[in-house]
Amino acid sequence: MKKRQGWLFFIIFLLTLSVYLLINYPLQLGLDLQGGSQLTLQIIKEEGKVTKDELEAVNSVIDKRVNNLGVSESNLQTLGGDQLILELPGEQNPLVASRVLGKTALLEFRTQIEGTTSDLKNLQLQRLIIKELIEKYSSAEKSQYDDNFLKVIQDDLNEIVQELNYSSTSNDLYGKLIEIKKYVDKEITNLFIKTDLSGKDLINAGRRQEQTNSNWEVLLTFSNSGGEKFSEITKSIAGTPQLLAIILDGESISEASVGNQFANTGITGGSATISGNFSAEKARELEVQLKGGSLPLPIEIVETNTIGALLGSKNILKSLYAAISGLIFVGIFMIFNYRILGFVSVLSLVLYGFFNLALYSLIPVTLTLPGISGLILSIGMAVDANILIFERIREELYDGNTLTRSIDSGFQRANSSIVDGHITTLLSCFVLFLLGTNFVKGFAATLGIGVLISLFTSLNCSKTILRFFTTYQSLRQKNLYLPRNNFSN
Amino acid sequence: MKYNLELIKNKRKIIGFSTVLILLSLLGILYSTFNTSYKKPINLGMDFVGGNELRIERVCEEECSSPPPETVLEKLREISKNKNVLNNIKLQFQNNNKLISIRTPYLSIEESNNLINNLDNIVGPLNYESKDSRLIGPKLGKRLLTNCVTSLLVSLFAISLYITIRFDKKYALFALLALFHDLVIVFGIFSWLGIILSVEVNSLFAVSLLTIAGYSVNDTVVIFDRIRENLKSKKEGYNETIQLSVNESFRRTTFTSITTLFPLLSIILFGSYSLFWFSLALSLGILVGSYSSILLAPSFLLKD
Repeated sequence: MKKRQGWLFFIIFLLTLSVYLLINYPLQLGLDLQGGSQLTLQIIKEEGKVTKDELEAVNSVIDKRVNNLGVSESNLQTLGGDQLILELPGEQNPLVASRVLGKTALLEFRTQIEGTTSDLKNLQLQRLIIKELIEKYSSAEKSQYDDNFLKVIQDDLNEIVQELNYSSTSNDLYGKLIEIKKYVDKEITNLFIKTDLSGKDLINAGRRQEQTNSNWEVLLTFSNSGGEKFSEITKSIAGTPQLLAIILDGESISEASVGNQFANTGITGGSATISGNFSAEKARELEVQLKGGSLPLPIEIVETNTIGALLGSKNILKSLYAAISGLIFVGIFMIFNYRILGFVSVLSLVLYGFFNLALYSLIPVTLTLPGISGLILSIGMAVDANILIFERIREELYDGNTLTRSIDSGFQRANSSIVDGHITTLLSCFVLFLLGTNFVKGFAATLGIGVLISLFTSLNCSKTILRFFTTYQSLRQKNLYLPRNNFSN
Repeated sequence: MKYNLELIKNKRKIIGFSTVLILLSLLGILYSTFNTSYKKPINLGMDFVGGNELRIERVCEEECSSPPPETVLEKLREISKNKNVLNNIKLQFQNNNKLISIRTPYLSIEESNNLINNLDNIVGPLNYESKDSRLIGPKLGKRLLTNCVTSLLVSLFAISLYITIRFDKKYALFALLALFHDLVIVFGIFSWLGIILSVEVNSLFAVSLLTIAGYSVNDTVVIFDRIRENLKSKKEGYNETIQLSVNESFRRTTFTSITTLFPLLSIILFGSYSLFWFSLALSLGILVGSYSSILLAPSFLLKD
């Protein structure tokens, strides 16, 4: 008896601890419950597997970019060796984040090949035309969007295509425009040769508004060695018709000449400005990308989930209704069928709920919709153990055993079935947790934790509570433990 | 209360009934593989094939107007740029026209924003706080599918291994037969649901199959445990002992299923829509699982 009392105090202590934990460390809610955006980034590698180092490197660049974006909260995790998951709570439109993060941001400085001046001029012109066409097409009002309008664009496009001697493979007009722009960009880049100066030589980036107009420019600050390289390069082409191109991810964002006055020393001072007609937004994106450095491997955004805040709070409410009504149904069923024993199982279920939630805040487990369904489902499984035990206790009572004896051997004999059953469920959870996506992991985690805790509550807590009840003479009548109709006959 | 299921008498009926169920399921799976537009054993949802799913509520003063989806689609086509996407768009109004639900092939975030803007122009204003948007690239979809199939196979293997170690070969074999019976039937039901109601399955369906597997084996194990225990203290004949054991554990198994079905029913009734089919699959699995544990698996053990 002494030992059981010890257990009772221990359980009360655990309950108090759980309540304390829950008050002081509130549960972490997933995005489907609080609203926000989640992006899954896939690292692209043509050959072989992404190594740990590469994953770390990509992770750190993305992390820097996210920080420089200035979002208030964010959470970046790696998943499965070649994916990253970025959560932006509260973010309703992940467009900017996706643009900033998705780019490799490989910055190159290239000098023009001698004697290509006229080729470049021609390509620059085509680039201008195609940019205007894209602009015209995208900003068209729906009223203007008729056959005539499309024909004008198509005709202009045809002219460029003839000029370039390039046939596109895309069959939709917008796709064609984009494809040809890419082709022109590539051709322009090909007129320049690589230098040893790149984004790696930057130590900082910034932006400011140009004085003469409302456009923005991006400022680059080089490291010491970068500054030297930059002056060397500018010195080599100063005063010649050759241009210096700044190339970002294969697309030239600025081509500029270097004046004759720099012929002796090159441009010194360790900084440069890119003024490529940037909007405020574009300048900021570029700044963030350059500050974070370029990605060692390209990434692709393969999944985007966005959930409104209102929907999130509705989801919480719905889950709460479902959980509570589930508990009530189960409680009524158990008390109706098992009377005192049913009441004991309801008490241990309540304990079960508290222990579960407390453990979520302790580990911590982020609560998501699938997670909640795992929890709700595990309620049913937790009761299962109780039912097994109670049925055994009743059989012992029918056999004419005393109450205490029946309770003892009921728990003992149900033990192996309970453990077996729990192990098969745990196996499933374990596999789900190892192989599943984030979404699935939430379910596996809560169901798995639930199954483990239910071993404790249904075996230990139920027994302790039951023992405690039976210390009272009035609760020791056998008929309180047997079904009503059965006892009357 | 004593139960008296006449297992011995009805052995043939039980096995026959299960065979019919299995055949119907296989028929659904075959029909789905060869005779549907998607040519897959089951209608794979966005999680596995990639795409864009958007649900958003409209702000309406009293009742929401009911524009026919066709007109809205027509207008969307007019003002959107990417024709390719708009040819494969599915649009539905639900909840008294308050909720718009759209499925398209994969879009970039930018394109998805455009779509929402266009929608706002046509049937707006929209309540952006109620937005639920998912974009899944086709690459990720494929990967998810492989992942789910691997998880299923690995955990089935793990469960089989555990059961084989834990029981004699005969018991293990029959427990596993019952397990596959349950999984095939639930899978078949969803194949049929896909054919008739175009219900799609996503990664949560795989999770439900896995959970059903764990659960169904659990139920069978409890009954087999009881049979073994009773066979040791053999008072009656072999077949009679099995029948007695089933009747002894009948209450436990049905009660457990009921207490598990209650919470699932609560999720179906009150929970979020994203958990509806998941809970339904689990409920079906638990029903089929209890049936196979109580009636089918022990019938296998009966001697003629």
